[in-house]
Order: sequence, then structure tokens, then C-alpha cells
Amino acid sequence: MAFSRNSGAPRAALRQMVARKNMLAGLLFCAVALAGLFLSRDLPIGTALRMGTGYVPRLLCWVLLALGALVGVQGLLEADAGRPLPGPGTSAWRPVIFVTASLVIFGLTIERLGLVLSILLLIGVGAAAARGLRPLEMLAAAALLIALAWGIFILGLGLTIPVWPGW
Amino acid sequence: MELFNNLALGLSVALTPANLVFALVGALIGTLIGVLPGIGPIATIAMLLPLTFHLEPTSGLIMLAGIFYGAQYGGSTTAILVNLPGETSSVVTCIDGHQMARQGRAGAALAVAALGSFFAGCVSTLLIATFAPPLAVVGQSFGAPEYFSLMVLGLIAAVVLAHGSVLKAVAMIILGLLVGLVGTDGNTGATRFTFGITELTDGIDVATLAIGIFGLGEIITNLSQPEETRALVASKITRLWPTREDFRRVWPAVLRGTALGSILGVLPGGGATLSSFAAYALEKKSSAHAAQFGHGAVEGVAAPESANNAGAQTSFIPMLTLGIPGNAVMALMIGALTIHGIQPGPQIMTERPGMFWGMIASMWIGNVMLVIINLPLIGIWVQLLKVPYRFLYLAILLFCAIGVYTVSNSATAVLLAAFFGVAGFVFARLECEPAPMILGFVLGPLMEENLRRAMRISSGDPMIFLKRPISLGLLIGALALCVLVALPAIRSKREEAFQEN
Repeated sequence: MAFSRNSGAPRAALRQMVARKNMLAGLLFCAVALAGLFLSRDLPIGTALRMGTGYVPRLLCWVLLALGALVGVQGLLEADAGRPLPGPGTSAWRPVIFVTASLVIFGLTIERLGLVLSILLLIGVGAAAARGLRPLEMLAAAALLIALAWGIFILGLGLTIPVWPGW
Repeated sequence: MELFNNLALGLSVALTPANLVFALVGALIGTLIGVLPGIGPIATIAMLLPLTFHLEPTSGLIMLAGIFYGAQYGGSTTAILVNLPGETSSVVTCIDGHQMARQGRAGAALAVAALGSFFAGCVSTLLIATFAPPLAVVGQSFGAPEYFSLMVLGLIAAVVLAHGSVLKAVAMIILGLLVGLVGTDGNTGATRFTFGITELTDGIDVATLAIGIFGLGEIITNLSQPEETRALVASKITRLWPTREDFRRVWPAVLRGTALGSILGVLPGGGATLSSFAAYALEKKSSAHAAQFGHGAVEGVAAPESANNAGAQTSFIPMLTLGIPGNAVMALMIGALTIHGIQPGPQIMTERPGMFWGMIASMWIGNVMLVIINLPLIGIWVQLLKVPYRFLYLAILLFCAIGVYTVSNSATAVLLAAFFGVAGFVFARLECEPAPMILGFVLGPLMEENLRRAMRISSGDPMIFLKRPISLGLLIGALALCVLVALPAIRSKREEAFQEN
């Protein structure tokens, strides 16, 4: 998405090369490993006999870095044009954003607003992740799910989650 | 007979009204999520895991176990009627099962799948009851070095038997080990990778990770793809009984599937999915009706469906007897035990015989319930298939949210799960199998502890792993697996095994 539209042919080729699954997976592993190395830079390493707090994390990060590099090289060497990621037709931004947002909102509101209102918010925001859900259907689903959640978790299991806002 | 005494004890526990209810609930939920594509047993068990804290440990385990093997029953229904796998373990059932349905033999296919599963369930329950006690005795003689080597072997076997690229699977295990490090280092008391967040000093809960990666990740993945059309071949199933000819052809396939599934289930990295793929491949090679495969061969339904149920159940053996999870579901079962403060390991059988045998006995009871749930009541599940995913995912989303909130009654867990959800989606896009990550996550702390203990026993001499015969044998086994998977001939066979469709 970040690439400019009027990029020339070499850039498109580069993009295709990078957009291979194994290439991206390798880059992801390397990025996590580097981040881990950075985060554990101040932890004491110790020796193999008396391992410090930083020994195992760093060891694992180096192994992950090596593996990430190998996976990436494998991606580069793939014979055909690789298996590129699905085209823009199957955009995933919508579910990624709305599913994440609905959970964040639920997490932040459950204690203050209680079960009923936070479920309403969860369903309201979460419903935006999919296309083709009519408002009335959404309300019906929310009502059903609130009743279900109340029945199972509050009535059945006796969880101590506030049902209504606390003030 | 000790076996019968033990089973009698187990039945006395499993037949209490409360445990019967939880076995039924587990079987019902298992069938439900098995029938519905888009949600699997790993995500479901992760969601319900925190709730088992409020139950008796035995009841909780009985329910969670029921979900796992119940899903194997339910998965075949969708595979046969809609040509979509309800579960990954019923992918191969689609091939011949759906063809049978299109030829108007949906009822026979469903019955063969359910009865095959039932037979496999009974046999594997007996296998667990027979082989778990001696294995637990062996496990009790294990010291820290043996445990460490066993876990090394387990992780390597899990990689070899996993789907897709070996390199990526190893990387995912390392990633899981790294996530497992988050929190306080038990040895020095220093914190690692906590980003200054107080809630992270206790580490990340396995349920949070699994709900994020499997539950939420799957929701995002499913929503990012256009909704598949679910065309039922037969909305009314008329003839539920297979013909005499079917029975004649099916029973050897069921036997083979059960045997293969039982063996593969015990192996680390094995379980339901691997068993069903392997059983289908074996049946296709050995059947006298090989040409019919892909065109509605009844053996092509019977073998993988028996195998996946057998594999699902025998994968409990290493978890129950050694405390070592062989697949992601067993990793969660370990999580369920630790929630109740029960140390997983060989001592469970002697310290908590009621729980141990009660769970085993409940598997047989659960299988009886499942045949009834899946055959006479098949119509109800067919109706459920008509619920579109855009309603279903809202319910899954809600159960994920409440499940993860109850892990620690904190909003932080919910935010973490949301993060792992995106991570799970990215892994799915990049074809990185997430199951090895959960295994690494659960085994990481166990391995570290046993490594440290072994080092203390030997006062820092790493040769202890090679000096002890059992440990040496396990490590040689691990090395042999590494060599095997590097051999080109084996490698192509391995890829072939997972590419049946």
C-alpha cells in the first residue's frame, strides 16, 4: 500500500520479489530477532554453566536471525515468480482494523461500563469488519449474544464481571 | 484385573451427574465447532480454558477433552455435505465423502464416518487405559536429563511431522520459546521483554496467546477472504444406514485407520490431522478399489475418519503420562492442569487416580454420546450450517473477548490477545503454521527448568545428556529424525503426504 502507483518496471520487479511469502516470512523472523537482541542488550549473559538472564534470549534470537535469513534466501531462490500475496481484491485492512479495535474497546470498557454496554460496543465495532451485515441484524445478534453471555457467564458460572456501569 | 479395577474407578467418577453433563457439553460443543468451518478445537479450548477455573478440575478436563474428539465427529458432516472441511482433520474426508453425497449416498457416508469414529474411539480409549500406566511408571524413573532430551525429541518430531516448510516450523518454535521468556526469569528474578508493563512480569498466559493466534487470527483471516458459498447437497438425509456391501468394504479400512491413527496420535506433532492424511494415503495405496478413490470410495471416508478420532484420543497418552504435550491442543490441556495448580507429569496417575481414570472413562462415554448426537440428530447440525459466517464470527469474537478477559481479569490480556490476533493473521498469510509456536511456548519454560536441573546434577557438565543411556537414546532418535528429514527421498514423501487434494 505504501508503494507509489507510478513506479517503474524495476521497482515493480523488486516489489514482486519482496512480496513473496517466504521472503516476507524471513524478514519477519529477522525483524523479531533483531528487536529481541536490541531489547536484551542490557541483560547479563553469564556463562554456559551459570546462565545469566540474557543468555537464553540472546541465543534464541541469534538462531531465529539465522533461520529468518535462510527462509528469506529460500524465498529469493524460488523458481517461479514466487507465490505472491493475494492481490488488492481481497483487502484485509478492514477486518484487521475493526476486529482489533473492537477488542481494544471491549478491554478498556468492560470494567467501567459493564458487560452489557461493552458487548454492545464490541458487536457494533466488530460488525464493521464484515460487509453485508444490516443494522437490524446486528442489533438482533447483539441482543441474542448479550442474553447468551449473561446466561452462561453470570448466571451459569457466576463470574464477577459487572453487568451494568458502576456509578 | 487391575485394568478393570481402574476402569471401574474411572467410571464411578465419569458417571457422576455433574461429569456426565460436562461430557455431554463437551461433546455438543465439539460437534458444533466441528460442523462449523471457521472455528477449530484449538481456538475453542483456548476460549473455554479460563472458565474451567470455575469448575472441578476433573469436570473441566472431561469437557475440554470432549471438545477435541467431538470436533473429529462434527468435522466429517460438513466435509460430506458441503465439501468444506469443518476441521483441518477432515480435509481428506471431503474428497470421497462429498462424492458419495452427490451420488445420493450422504446418509451412508455420514453413518460410516460416525461409526468408524466410534469404533476408533473405543479402541483408543482401551489403548490409553492399557498403555498409560506402564508409560507413567517409565516416566517416574526419568530425571531432569531424560526429560530434557525427551522434549528435544518431541520438538524435533513436531517439526518433522508439521505441515509445510521445516525451516519455518523451527523458526515458529523459536518464536514460541521467545514469547515464553516474557516475564520474570525464575532463576535470577530479573524481568525480560516486559516493556515496563507490570502485568507482563507474570508472563503471558497460554490461553491469551492461543485465543489471539487461533481464535482472533482465524476471524481476521476468514473475513479477509470472500465468504465461501455453502451449498448443501442434500438438505434432507433419507437413508442413514450403509449397505451390506459398504460394511464389507469398510471394516478393514476402519481397522487400518484406527491402527495408524493410534500410532501417529502418540507421536509428538501428531494427532488428528496427520492421522487422517496418512490413513487416506495408506488406504488409497492398499485398497482393491483404488480406482474409485476420488469418486466416492467408502473406504476414503472410513479410514481417515477413524484415524482422526483415534489420533485425537491417543495424543492424550504422552500428555497424561509424561506431562509432555504432543500438539497444540495438548499444550492447552497442560495449561488447564496448571490453572488448577496440578503439576503435569507421571505422578498424576498415582496422586489423582480419580481424575486420571475418570477422564479416560469419560472418553468412552463421550464417544457413545457423540454417535447419538451425530447420527439421529444430524438434521439439527445441518440446519446450523445455514447460519452465515457474518453472524457466527460475532459470537466467536465475543467468546474470545470474555474468555481472554477472565484469564486474569485484566484489560491488558485483552489488548495482548488483540495483538496476537493480528500476528496470527500475518502468520496465516505468510503460511507459517502457528501450532509449533504454541508447543515451543509451553515446552520452553519446562525445558529451561530441566536443563538447569540437569546442569546442577552434573555440576555443569553437559555430557550428562550423553552419559545417561535413556537420554542418549532419545537424543540419537532426535538426530536420526533430523537426518531423515534432510534426505531428499523422505522430504518429497513428506510433502506428498500433506498434499492430498
